[in-house]
Parts: sequence; structure tokens; C-alpha cells
Amino acid sequence: MLVIGEVHTGLLQNSGEISESTCRQVLGLMAGESVRVSRRPIVHALSPERLTGVDCALPAASRSRIRGVGTVVSRCAVTGGRVAQGSSYVRVVRSETDRRLPWSHYLSRPGVVEVLGKAKAADLAEGFTGDPAPGCLDLGAVSGRFLDLVQASPLLDRRAPFKIPRTSLRWVAETGEPSIRFTLHTEQERTLRLTHPGPFTPAVVDLCEDLATHDWLLTSLLVIVERARIGATPGAQAVARLAPAIDHLMHLWMPAARVEEWLTPFWESLERRPGFTRQWRSLVDRVRDQVAMNTLALLSATAEAGRR
Amino acid sequence: MLVFAISDKGGTGRSVTGTNIVYRHALQGNDVCYLDFDFGSPTAGAIFSVSAVARGTPENGLHEYLRGECPQPRRVDVWAESDREGLRTRPPGAGRLVLLPGSEGGGELSALTDEIVGRCVQLFGRLEEEFDLCMIDVSAGRSFTAELVLAATVRMPAVPFRWLVFHRWTRQHIIAADGLVAGADGLLDVGSRFGHDREDLRDRIRFVRTAVLEPDAAELVGLRDEQRAWLSACDSELRELAGRHGVGRTAMLGKIPLDPVLQWREQLITDEDVLASKIANAETAAAFDELAKKIVDDSAWEGL
Repeated sequence: MLVIGEVHTGLLQNSGEISESTCRQVLGLMAGESVRVSRRPIVHALSPERLTGVDCALPAASRSRIRGVGTVVSRCAVTGGRVAQGSSYVRVVRSETDRRLPWSHYLSRPGVVEVLGKAKAADLAEGFTGDPAPGCLDLGAVSGRFLDLVQASPLLDRRAPFKIPRTSLRWVAETGEPSIRFTLHTEQERTLRLTHPGPFTPAVVDLCEDLATHDWLLTSLLVIVERARIGATPGAQAVARLAPAIDHLMHLWMPAARVEEWLTPFWESLERRPGFTRQWRSLVDRVRDQVAMNTLALLSATAEAGRR
Repeated sequence: MLVFAISDKGGTGRSVTGTNIVYRHALQGNDVCYLDFDFGSPTAGAIFSVSAVARGTPENGLHEYLRGECPQPRRVDVWAESDREGLRTRPPGAGRLVLLPGSEGGGELSALTDEIVGRCVQLFGRLEEEFDLCMIDVSAGRSFTAELVLAATVRMPAVPFRWLVFHRWTRQHIIAADGLVAGADGLLDVGSRFGHDREDLRDRIRFVRTAVLEPDAAELVGLRDEQRAWLSACDSELRELAGRHGVGRTAMLGKIPLDPVLQWREQLITDEDVLASKIANAETAAAFDELAKKIVDDSAWEGL
């Protein structure tokens, strides 16, 4: 029917970025299963997947009661040793029976939630990306808890260089005529509706996580630039407030680095509108120009002092 | 940084001082949040002039969250939701000011379970990621709430936290404030039972005197000489008493002068109240401002 997921993204609670080997330890949530690490073009570490059993109502826009039983797949990721994520998703399918089967049945289908009774995909998609009723399947709660697991790791010193909110991206993927719609809701909430050709594969989850990472980077850089109050505070002070962005964020922009070839057109369409990289570049330029201006001011002040 | 606000007795001005400190800290450019853990009487909404949560929130309050009845507690953006005009626009350069209200009709915690402590740890951990300062208004006196936050902070050793004990400048309050910290079943006792290091915990506790009438205050000008002399004698007696009870100058972070506005209506003191309508004293606003700086100033928190 459809696939729904939610990604929570935040700043890793450590003073500096963590090394690849530390990433492996932080994400080693399960003994015996290894952490997958890719190094180019940016270090990306992905934890083994874990399952959460659910038997609850699914969010429906019509508020009709739809019961789903199955398992949620969750995983954590760390990008560039700096950005942490908790991500969960389920494939929603129709059950062949109207009653709940033994758990062994659901455990043999990891990441699948079977709907008992009637349900329309559009109703579920609207319900999940709209305002889910309380008490329904809450993938955000699961993802948030997985992100907490990473952030509470004893290997992290919890002295993050700046305070910044997490963002959440709730996504729905269906098969059909290709289209993508990315929507900003409150300061921290985003939704994504994706229709892709061909059947669902986990590469779609990678795409959503990649989008969530970059949306978080952009959101956070915007917050830091706003906090710097360029123009309203003395140059040196503004630059000091921009420093965390230079030290910790500006080198992490690698859009579509881990996205499979057949899904890159979706990223490209978002690059055309709203234009993630365009906004990112303009912000980065603004930060660098501030630093350059401040350096010039310092140099001329030093020269002035030398002449006197 | 987590800051726990507690008082020895009710009516010390703990909540009104705590909210004013948080407000000043936001004006200084920091992102701050205020958690109303005073479950028996969650009225922080009234101080922030958010009438919708003046007696706590009917849904998704902190109490429900801790009991596991909602996934996340409600957040109120004071700059957007306050009814007071002077608070409804975020001043330039100010940080976020967020209130997490208690549950309407919640009632005190009746027991401490592992699940509740776990949820509390999760909440503190997440808030600490995004806010420079989280002030948690723990209710007056010994309570399960105080035990809860002591148990929670043991589980998050890397998260910095501090305690502020509010007390009034009277014999009773000085003795009670000392008892709350160092007495039987006080913060140090309970804290070390949960696994805190007693001396380390003591270094994280400072006292704040509220409603202080200085012998040289302007309000006392109309008093007779005899009255002034008596007040002055009382004050030095209290200072001596405070010194003996470990509530003296070295353990004090600051003091808030007596202000009619705070006596008659618990509210945030804005600069407008001081400069335009002139209902509040400039000294009071300055005291809040100073406390808001000292709370994160490590030199004010060096070991005693």
C-alpha cells in the first residue's frame, strides 16, 4: 500500500566531531552486528536495524479506526561525526486475514505492518502527514528514542558547541507517477510526500534520511546566522557568534551523496525548487563575507595603530 | 545547564523569582525554558501571563508526560502566546522563551518509579540539547519531585546542573533553608542516597534571598530612628544566624529586594514596568538581571 517513516535529526552531543571508530562504538546498539560505514565523500555510519513490535491504531485523516499489527524498523546514523539521526519506517500492507496472527508471522516480515480490515492508502497518507490523532502509531516517538540512545552514549562528553533543536521529517512513499513534495510546518516539523516508480526499496529510506540531514543543516545554519544579528551587533561579535557554523557545520553539505542513481532526480527537483543548495550557498557566502569584512577591519585597525 | 529551583517553605517567591531570572536570561540572548514541576500548584502560566495555561494545561502537561500518558509534554512559546502586550513580541536579540506547563489538577507525585525517572531523564536530555538554560521549578520543601530530579541527574553525569534554594530573610526561613539542604532527609542526604557525591552536590547549591529589605533602602526613609535601629539590629542578627547555618554570604548567589509589584501581583518585571509605568523598582530588575548572569558564571560557583 504505502511506506511511512519519520526521521529525527540533531547535533551530536559532543564538543568536537567523533572519529570513525567512535562512531562504530556509539552506534553498536546490538552485539554481534556491525555498523556500516561509508567514507566518501563524507563519513557516514549506520547502526544495525532494530525492530519494535506494534499493535495499535494507524493514523487516518478520516479518523476511522484502522488497526495495524507488525514491526517497525529503526536505526541510527551519524554523518560527518557530527549529525545524529534516529530513523524508523514501516511498510503498510493489507492483511490476508481479519484477525491477529501469532507473533512469529509478523517477526518473519520485519518492517511490515499488516492492516486488519479496510483501509485506503490515501487516507493513511493524509493522516500520517497531517495531524495524527493521539494514541496512534507514533514513529516519531520511536525515532526520538533511538536518537536519545545515541545522545546518551557514555562515549560522548555532552559539551556540544552550541544549542540547537532537533528537526523531524515525517515521510510517506508510494509507487506511481514520480513526484515529490517537501513541506515545512512549524520550526521543527517537516513532511515529505514521495511517489516513486517501481517497488519500494530501502534506498528510499536513504533518500529521506539524506534530505532530513540537509534540511537540518540548513535550518541550523539559518538559526546561527539569525543569532549572530549581522548588522545589529559589532562585526567582531557577530563573527564570534558565527564561528560554530564554520567549525562544525559548513563542511558537511553533501547533497545526494548516498542516494541511489534512480532516486537522484528527486533531489534534483528539490534543488530546482525550493533550492536547498542555493539557499545554503548564499548563507555560507554571507558567513564568509562577514569573516572577510571583519578581517579587513582588524587589519586596517592594526595598520592605523602602527602608523601612530 | 539544568537549574533546579526549590524553597524551604511556600510563599518565598521561588516561582516569581525563577521565572524572572529565566526571562532576563532570554533577554540576554539565550534560549531558555521553564518547567513547572510544582505539580500540586502549577501556576507558572499565570506569571508568564499565558491565561490558557494559568492553572496548568488541560492536556499534555508535565505530570501526564511523567506518568507516560502522552509522548511529549506541551510547549508554550511565551513570546507568541502571552496575553501581555509587552511580552508578545520577541525583543531583538532575545532568545527563545518556552514554558512547559504542569497538568491542570495534576496533584503531587505519589510515588517514584523507575519509569518516571526514565522519562524525566529523557526529557532533561532532550531539552538540554536545545536550550542554554532549563529552569525546573521544584515545589517547596521535601517532596517526591525533589527526589525525582535528584535520581534523574545521577543518571546523566555529563549534563551540568545547579540548585537554587530560595528563602526569605527571616529567622524561620534561614533555619528552614539550611534544614532543607543539610538537615535529615534534606537534599544532601537524599542526593547521596541516590548516588550523588555529597560534597560535589553541596558545591552545586546556592541560596537566593527574596523580599529583602535593606536597612538603607529608600522605603525606610519615613521610619522613626528607633525603628531603623531595631531593623538594623535584626539584620545583623540574621546575618550572624545565616553564617552559622551555612546560608551566609559565601553560599549566597544573590538577593532580590522587596518590591511592591512582586508582593501584590506575581509577574515578570519588564523594562517597561521600570522605565515607562514606573510601577517596579529599577533595583529589582537589576537584581534579576545580575542573577541571570551569575547563574551561568562559573566564578560564582567555585567550591566553597
